[in-house]
Amino acid sequence: MLKLGLRSVLAHRLRFVLCTVAVLLGIAFVSGAMIFTDTLSAALKKNFAGGTADITVTAVSQVDPGTSGALPATLTIDLANQIAAVPGVAGTDPQLLVPGIQIIGKDGRPIDNHGLSAYGAGWPHHPQTAPFRLLDGEAPWGQAKLALDQTTARREGFELGQQIKVVTPARSVSATLTAITTSALSGSAAGAPLVSFDPATAQLLLLGRPGWTSIGVAVQPGQDHAIVKEEITSIAGPDVTVRTAAEVSADGENALDDTFGGFSTVLLMFAGLALFVGAFLIVNTFAMVVAQRSRELAMLRAIGASRSQVTGTVLAEATVIGVIGSTLGLLIGTGVAGGIQLFYQSLDLAIPSTALQVSAATIVTSYLIGIGVTVAAAYPAARRAGKLPPVAAMRDDLVVPERSLLVRLLIGGFMLLMAVTLSAIGLGTQGLPGAVLLAFAAAITLLGIVMTSPLISRYAVRGLMRPFGRQAPVVLGRRNAERNPRRTSATASALMISLALVSGLVVLAASAKASVDKGIADAIGTAEFVVSDQGGAFSSQVGDRIAEVPGISAVHRIRQLPGTVASTPVSVSGVSPGTLSGPIVTRLDAGSLDNLEKGEAVIPRNLANQLKLSVGKRFQLVTSTGKFPLTVGGVIASNREVNAVILSLDQFGAVGGAGTDSTLYLDVADGTDPVQVRSAVLAKVSDYPSVLVRDQQAYAAGERGPINAILGVVGALLALAVLIALLGIVNTLALGVVERTREIGLLRAIGMDGPQLRRMLQVEAIAMALLGALLGVIVGVLFAAAIQQVMAEDGLSVLDVPVLQLVIAIVVAAVVGVLAAFWPSRRASRLDVLQAIAAE
Amino acid sequence: MTAELVEQAVAIRTVGLGKSYGHGETRIDALADVSVEFGRGRFTAIMGPSGSGKSTLLHCLAGLDKPTTGQVMLGELDLTKLDERSLTHLRRDRIGFVFQAFNLVPTLTALENITLPLDLANRKPDKAWLDTVLTTIGLKDRLGHKPSELSGGQQQRVACARALVSRPHVVFADEPTGNLDSRASADVLGFLHRSVREFGQTVVMVTHDPTAAAYADRVLFLADGRLRDELLDPTAESVLDLMKQLDGTD
Repeated sequence: MLKLGLRSVLAHRLRFVLCTVAVLLGIAFVSGAMIFTDTLSAALKKNFAGGTADITVTAVSQVDPGTSGALPATLTIDLANQIAAVPGVAGTDPQLLVPGIQIIGKDGRPIDNHGLSAYGAGWPHHPQTAPFRLLDGEAPWGQAKLALDQTTARREGFELGQQIKVVTPARSVSATLTAITTSALSGSAAGAPLVSFDPATAQLLLLGRPGWTSIGVAVQPGQDHAIVKEEITSIAGPDVTVRTAAEVSADGENALDDTFGGFSTVLLMFAGLALFVGAFLIVNTFAMVVAQRSRELAMLRAIGASRSQVTGTVLAEATVIGVIGSTLGLLIGTGVAGGIQLFYQSLDLAIPSTALQVSAATIVTSYLIGIGVTVAAAYPAARRAGKLPPVAAMRDDLVVPERSLLVRLLIGGFMLLMAVTLSAIGLGTQGLPGAVLLAFAAAITLLGIVMTSPLISRYAVRGLMRPFGRQAPVVLGRRNAERNPRRTSATASALMISLALVSGLVVLAASAKASVDKGIADAIGTAEFVVSDQGGAFSSQVGDRIAEVPGISAVHRIRQLPGTVASTPVSVSGVSPGTLSGPIVTRLDAGSLDNLEKGEAVIPRNLANQLKLSVGKRFQLVTSTGKFPLTVGGVIASNREVNAVILSLDQFGAVGGAGTDSTLYLDVADGTDPVQVRSAVLAKVSDYPSVLVRDQQAYAAGERGPINAILGVVGALLALAVLIALLGIVNTLALGVVERTREIGLLRAIGMDGPQLRRMLQVEAIAMALLGALLGVIVGVLFAAAIQQVMAEDGLSVLDVPVLQLVIAIVVAAVVGVLAAFWPSRRASRLDVLQAIAAE
Repeated sequence: MTAELVEQAVAIRTVGLGKSYGHGETRIDALADVSVEFGRGRFTAIMGPSGSGKSTLLHCLAGLDKPTTGQVMLGELDLTKLDERSLTHLRRDRIGFVFQAFNLVPTLTALENITLPLDLANRKPDKAWLDTVLTTIGLKDRLGHKPSELSGGQQQRVACARALVSRPHVVFADEPTGNLDSRASADVLGFLHRSVREFGQTVVMVTHDPTAAAYADRVLFLADGRLRDELLDPTAESVLDLMKQLDGTD
């Protein structure tokens, strides 16, 4: 049966080319993502192996501080001394490693690390336990000297003896470069830019207080590491992890993985979309091929092949296509991964490189997915082929029995009903759970439409094509689109799903942008300027200096750190007195803002609802440094600027907040020129080049930035989806031309000219494209609007439907239809009339 | 030989028509030096054994196939000099077709199929003429049906109506009764016959059936790509007799 399948694929090469392309695209993304990830981790293992102390003791953060203003959890020097006394320990090395450092380049701007955080470190006490090594120069000493990693120094052109400016969360420092080091060899900072100071200076500059983030332990030669580890664990107490070098390496915690893992996620999204949309194309191709070959297949049955054998030949064809598509996809995926690697190497980050890692797992996964998708998509057609009665070989008029649409319509109807119910529940559920329910309902709706679309297409095509007139080619094209509703709707469905996804995201993104604008306009009151920093938190010196500028009447500070309440992740904000009654407009719902100064918390309404808290209730806040009981002192209206557990600055410090600000709101005194004041402020903070001083509009524009980045990815997704949908239309038309060879010959014989033939096929293509695009946009917009409704309290306060963009999307779909008809119509108009009429 | 047969104005004629496939030793002449005229308002049948070139002659006459040598003159127009696009428009406006099978577009109704050549040419049908044609084929109650809902004979009658509706110079019929039983054949042939008698239509038909040929005014016999003989006012018996004779001389 495999041989028959192989022969058939070879004989009908053309029909299967597009199937293969669809599989290929999906597998290229799958394998590209896997190869890139494998290559990255292999490179990390290779370059950073052995850079770890025998045993590492780390403070456990309840909450990952990330690069926010939260202080990392620390260990005391006492613990280091206790560990040093443990039998078998040769020496201890208290180490300090803090993210969120900015290195200022020669142009006065912070250097661009392409998403990697730069780290600050204390100089290691012993070479044996050092997380990085000295390459050139002398270890830095005092506040006027620092060390930098080799890659960063080379890239930025820094040489020993030069002055380098560094902005830490605590302050801005200028110091002489006295040493070149490697990057950190393991842990989360591996491969990232690294600035180091002598240990005492590091504590002062990076932490602002004594403490160490980890303790490296050297074990005496001949001692069992595991036993020493047990000893240390027993004296270290809770909130501390003790790991051997092997365990540290196995944990593989690394900032590079996080940063570039995002890349793999995007690739996998593309893969999913490509394969899903491609599956429709494969379903259609096999349905058509089986229909065309029904006599041949019935002949196989007549000469003694069993049902399963006939089904088998068709599945064998699918397997062959899956194998070819996966093989080519793997090759292209390897190229994609290589391209991404080259791109990152060209950025000259401290990213290690190694040969591309094409692992067995990648190959097996690619083939499994490629073959699996193809065979699954071909299965319905294969099953129908098996059901062909042998007598079909003898008869002219017998076609493949198509299962009645009834079952399909019933299932589809049931799904739509389920989607409606889910939507109703979702609309009644506020916040993220509601949005998730609605997204789920949207997916079921799409599947429901796919199931019922043969019925929909029967009625929709006529209406859609009405504006195109009643000329003969138009009528013929429309009837062709109507004659096989399954095929038309399957082709349209692929486009529908893509466009539903894209239009939904477009509406959500536009709404998010509009909501940002409105949220900022609503929330910011008297403040003239908003001060923030690209890197997140910034030194409190910035605010101190701005306060000295003449014309600035008040500086209001907001600080932030992540935490959890009852296992729910929340933001924690510290605000300076008066911030909530003026610069930020908030309506007090209950309690009093004065309670802030008593050490109580104020929370916005949405958070109060989510956490089921009200004034007077007590709750426990967990931050990176510990657990703190708090009382709700007030509830304010939900607002964009502070969506957090709000504390006074003092209380914020007490729960582990750093003395760094995340946002400043500046009031300008009456009668002063804001433009002049802004220049004066900028001059004052020139030490902090990444600090931004913006008015409301500029601030809003900046806040919209990330949404634009998301729209960029959406655009790329759209392009890919449209490409595959285009292939689907080309495929359906091309197969239709083969199937209707005689009919086309007849039309040519009785006087249909080339342009009319082209027009006929274009109309069919446009019908499919418009059907898919319209259904997709309707579903996408409706569900996006519904999601906006339930998320109104959570940052999506405004619904914005970008009508123009959506109309353009639909027009593009129609144009794509015209383009898709190009190749099949060229083939059709080149058919020899006499041969076409005589064709079987 | 042919000059004396001209009784009326000529609708279409060939001059030294030849069609060959292949080159050198493998060269096959499907038609060799065929010069023949078809009178206006006459019903001509072309007969001959398989491979005699009768279908090739019909296809060349109809502008569906390009001859290797010679000319096809439709009035003063030389079809062999026309490009593909002009031929297409010529077929649409001035020539009618009836094929052996698969004559109708399955997605269109009978009436839509009949008016298709006019629709393609963006012309409005002449109501009175359309009515006459529809009355003659006698399928007025089935005009809204799709071809799959019509019998084979009904389908061929619809195809004949389509061939006539644009008042073409010539209607070419390629074995129009090849797939029909005798009753349906009689319907179709009777219809073609009437179109010649009553409407002065010119019809050229390829057939291998002596009964069908008997409906014609004149029968041409082809063998090995050459014109062998002809018969005026044929009957089924006279056609059969001549066929036997020709077989005997081979």
